[in-house]
Amino acid sequence: MGQNKKLNLEILDWSFVYDKNQIEELNTKELVPKMVTRRRLTRAAKIAIYLASQVNYSNERIIFGSSFGELLATDTILNSISDKEPISPTHFQNSVYNTAISYLSILSGNDNEIMTISSGDDTSKNIFKSGVIKAIDGDELLLMGIETLNIPSIREVNKCIDYLECGIAVRVKITDEKANLQLDTTNNLKIPNSLVELYNVAKSCENGRKNIVEVAI
Amino acid sequence: MISSLEKKVYITNSSSICCAGSNNEELFKNICSSKSGIKQIENYFQGHSPSVGLIESENDFYENLELQFSEILETSNLNDFENTLLIIGSSVGGMNHTEKIFLKNKEYQNIDPKLHNINAISHIINKKFKFEDSISFSTACTSSANAIGYGYEVLSKGFYENVLVVGIDQISQTTVGGFLSLGVLSSNSCKPFDISREGMNVAEGIVSTLLQTTATKNSVEVCGVGYSSDAHHMTHPHPDGIGAQKSMQNALKSAQINSSDIQYINAHGTGTTANDNAEAKAIEKLFGQDVYVSSTKSITGHTLGAAGSLEAVISSMVILNQTIPTSTNLKIAENENVLFSRENKKMNIKYVMSNSFAFGGNNCSLIFGRV
Repeated sequence: MGQNKKLNLEILDWSFVYDKNQIEELNTKELVPKMVTRRRLTRAAKIAIYLASQVNYSNERIIFGSSFGELLATDTILNSISDKEPISPTHFQNSVYNTAISYLSILSGNDNEIMTISSGDDTSKNIFKSGVIKAIDGDELLLMGIETLNIPSIREVNKCIDYLECGIAVRVKITDEKANLQLDTTNNLKIPNSLVELYNVAKSCENGRKNIVEVAI
Repeated sequence: MISSLEKKVYITNSSSICCAGSNNEELFKNICSSKSGIKQIENYFQGHSPSVGLIESENDFYENLELQFSEILETSNLNDFENTLLIIGSSVGGMNHTEKIFLKNKEYQNIDPKLHNINAISHIINKKFKFEDSISFSTACTSSANAIGYGYEVLSKGFYENVLVVGIDQISQTTVGGFLSLGVLSSNSCKPFDISREGMNVAEGIVSTLLQTTATKNSVEVCGVGYSSDAHHMTHPHPDGIGAQKSMQNALKSAQINSSDIQYINAHGTGTTANDNAEAKAIEKLFGQDVYVSSTKSITGHTLGAAGSLEAVISSMVILNQTIPTSTNLKIAENENVLFSRENKKMNIKYVMSNSFAFGGNNCSLIFGRV
């Protein structure tokens, strides 16, 4: 039954950023003026805050996704354990998978539902699926996927991803209009597979027309 | 915001294992007899000896999960899971696996990324069982509460026939050491809502819950779900419990019932100063002294991402047994304006609410009802 339903989402706004190592222009100083707060942000949180600023975000419900979550915080904790040093409370609180989007909610005062999906290579496909299921309720949603894989030892395990930092956001609503975009798993750029569908949709959006993606459940 | 719902949703089958029991019946019996599964482990982490809740079993951690799936297939109306959506709720996923390999020689190269992240659970399951589709949620300690909420949504909106929710978290040095660093671990079995509470107990748990749209014998209805965010702080709840209050209000709205319809709240009640203070205030504001409240974490410990599922099972057992469990370890309540249960109480129970709150101010309240 699940595979029989197809629903369409209109992409109202979109934004994406990526870099082989570290995305430079995230405008964090302007977006988060308080240094004490800014210093606690993870790379993914900075990317989330930047992307939200690019898509006319106004405290919608959010479906966020990441396959590997806060890899640098996790790496730092593991090294502390290995070195028999105390774990930093900040690194621990920043190690959960919903860290990035929680900082966005705290900074923007968003008290709505904020969900975090981590489905491996299917993460962005599942962001779209859960996004369309929730969008049936009639409100606009922010869908966002981020990976921040640039940790010191990443070369020990990474054999196939060229762009270690990537983030994509689309603001969506349900529509009955005909789709002109499909979820596509082509990954020529070699970004993390977990973000491919989101990236391909955002990349294919064009100004001056309605961008509508079909999502099969 | 949950609307456009078409179908009723029921928990038709479930299986659990945690430090307080290897099945639902044993778990509920131990809760009602105040028999805690929490034990102090000498020198568990860097010389610290916290009290934690470990699963005691002859089986490997994931063998227990596999056994739960086999048990559900044997005792449900399903022959397989090919027409079932698998929903995982976990806060650490394969972290334990990563720790074991990394801490041998401080290298990542022998770690399979597919066994490290949250999706590791789904990856392991899909080697043995075929599902229609799968999705994994990771919102720290609300992970499996949100997973049940999502299962409720997809079934009631008519997208799937069956949903199997797995709430699962294995204890790891990262979680024990991390909570130690925050100064919130107790060296004794926790005392939720007590004025002299010392903190929480990290624990592990595996809980599988089958959700379907047709009730069977001993089913419990999933009546509603409410989500919210504190938008306040990464680890501290809003001191007035505003986010907790909103998730409970949203759950009542979703279930289309009033606060006076609830007979019992299985509180998040971790035993930490901040959580219990904020949650009690939120309950006081919404329910006054009209509903019995207890936390069962003094018996089970805090199973983190599995807690929402474990407490959904406990809530189901409360309804099926028509018994509200006592508040183990609660001597003097910090908030006297909340009606904490002080003994096991047999009564007519129609609706139960279960609260789960997490890092990042992520909140989820679920409502279960008698069929």
